[in-house]
Amino acid sequence: MIPILGLAAGVLLGLFLDPTVPVSLQPYLPIAVVAALDAVFGGLRARLDGIFDAKVFVISFVSNVVVAALIVFLGDQLGVGAQLSTAVVVVLGIRIFGNAAAIRRHVFRA
Amino acid sequence: MGASLLDAVMADTLDPAYAQAARDRAKQPDPTGTGRSAPTRRWGQVLVALTMVVAGLLVAVTYHHAVAKSQGRQQVRAALISDIRHVSGMTDDLAAQLEDLRTQVGATRKQLLAATTVGQQALDELARAEQGAAAVAVTGPGLLVTLANADPSADQDPVGGTAQENTGGRVRDGDMQLVVNALWDAGAEAVSINGQRLGPTSAIRFAGEAVLVDFRPVANPYKISAIGDPETLSSRFMANPDVIALASISKAFGLRFEFAQEDELSLPPASTPELHVARADRLESAAPSAGATPGG
Repeated sequence: MIPILGLAAGVLLGLFLDPTVPVSLQPYLPIAVVAALDAVFGGLRARLDGIFDAKVFVISFVSNVVVAALIVFLGDQLGVGAQLSTAVVVVLGIRIFGNAAAIRRHVFRA
Repeated sequence: MGASLLDAVMADTLDPAYAQAARDRAKQPDPTGTGRSAPTRRWGQVLVALTMVVAGLLVAVTYHHAVAKSQGRQQVRAALISDIRHVSGMTDDLAAQLEDLRTQVGATRKQLLAATTVGQQALDELARAEQGAAAVAVTGPGLLVTLANADPSADQDPVGGTAQENTGGRVRDGDMQLVVNALWDAGAEAVSINGQRLGPTSAIRFAGEAVLVDFRPVANPYKISAIGDPETLSSRFMANPDVIALASISKAFGLRFEFAQEDELSLPPASTPELHVARADRLESAAPSAGATPGG
């Protein structure tokens, strides 16, 4: 329950405070969101599997976001930013789908 | 390797670190049986909540950015569109003003010249010159030639590929030049294409995909109206070898090429060419200089 409240609080904070992001970081926001979603779905699934661990969750979240942004940044520097962000989105998307399917099995038993 | 990589991505959707941590916990003998000590657990909860706050913040900020970006684009678009509307309205106003002033000049000129016989002669000359320069609107019987691109679905040519058919099925500037020249040759007194009158300096050109008449685009289908005696026009037009060749070409490529005699065609005046280099001679009467204006 507390994590869900935290998520809601974060969304509300973001919507009302509207913090400004440095222009140089703006291109990496969408990919960071996808990475964050992956970590959140993974954590939810682990919780339903009964093996949730706060340390693992926090570390996986931070590293996911940073690594995804870093990969895209590196790709931008090498001139393959679009392709690398596609790769990141594909891999993370598959993982999100897989975790969502596992969560669905837990919740609906189907 | 590639397949196994994909398999791995598909199969291990959960971070293996969770399983590892669970195994470590199971191995550790702990007296309370809840895993860790209470303060550590509380800290973990706080950290998780904070992480979720960050996740929510990230989502909201990204959403905000996406919305702001699209809104900015829309604003720029709207501003550009209103700019275009405003300026083209201004152009229309100026054109109307020009038309007004031209009519005034014409009326004043007529008034002044009609008084004397020399002036009358000059007026007649001017009228003839204006007709020749396509500076006045005209009506009369004539010939209406229609040229149109081939229908894409009507292309049933079994030989050529689709790309070739597409380019072959288009009316080109050359076709229109040919038709217009044949019409002049057949004795047309005035010609217009889709309501765009051809003056002495008008050009029919091809720019990209569009046919330009006097640098203004005209769209398919092309209706070419020519004023003249319909009988003579059509018989001489049909007898023109170029027209016969064009007819067979258009049949081969599926172009629409037809013409009909019309009892009443009205053609607008052409845009009068601007004088850039030519200057009126300072002669004793105003007549020659006035006559030189519309002819360019």
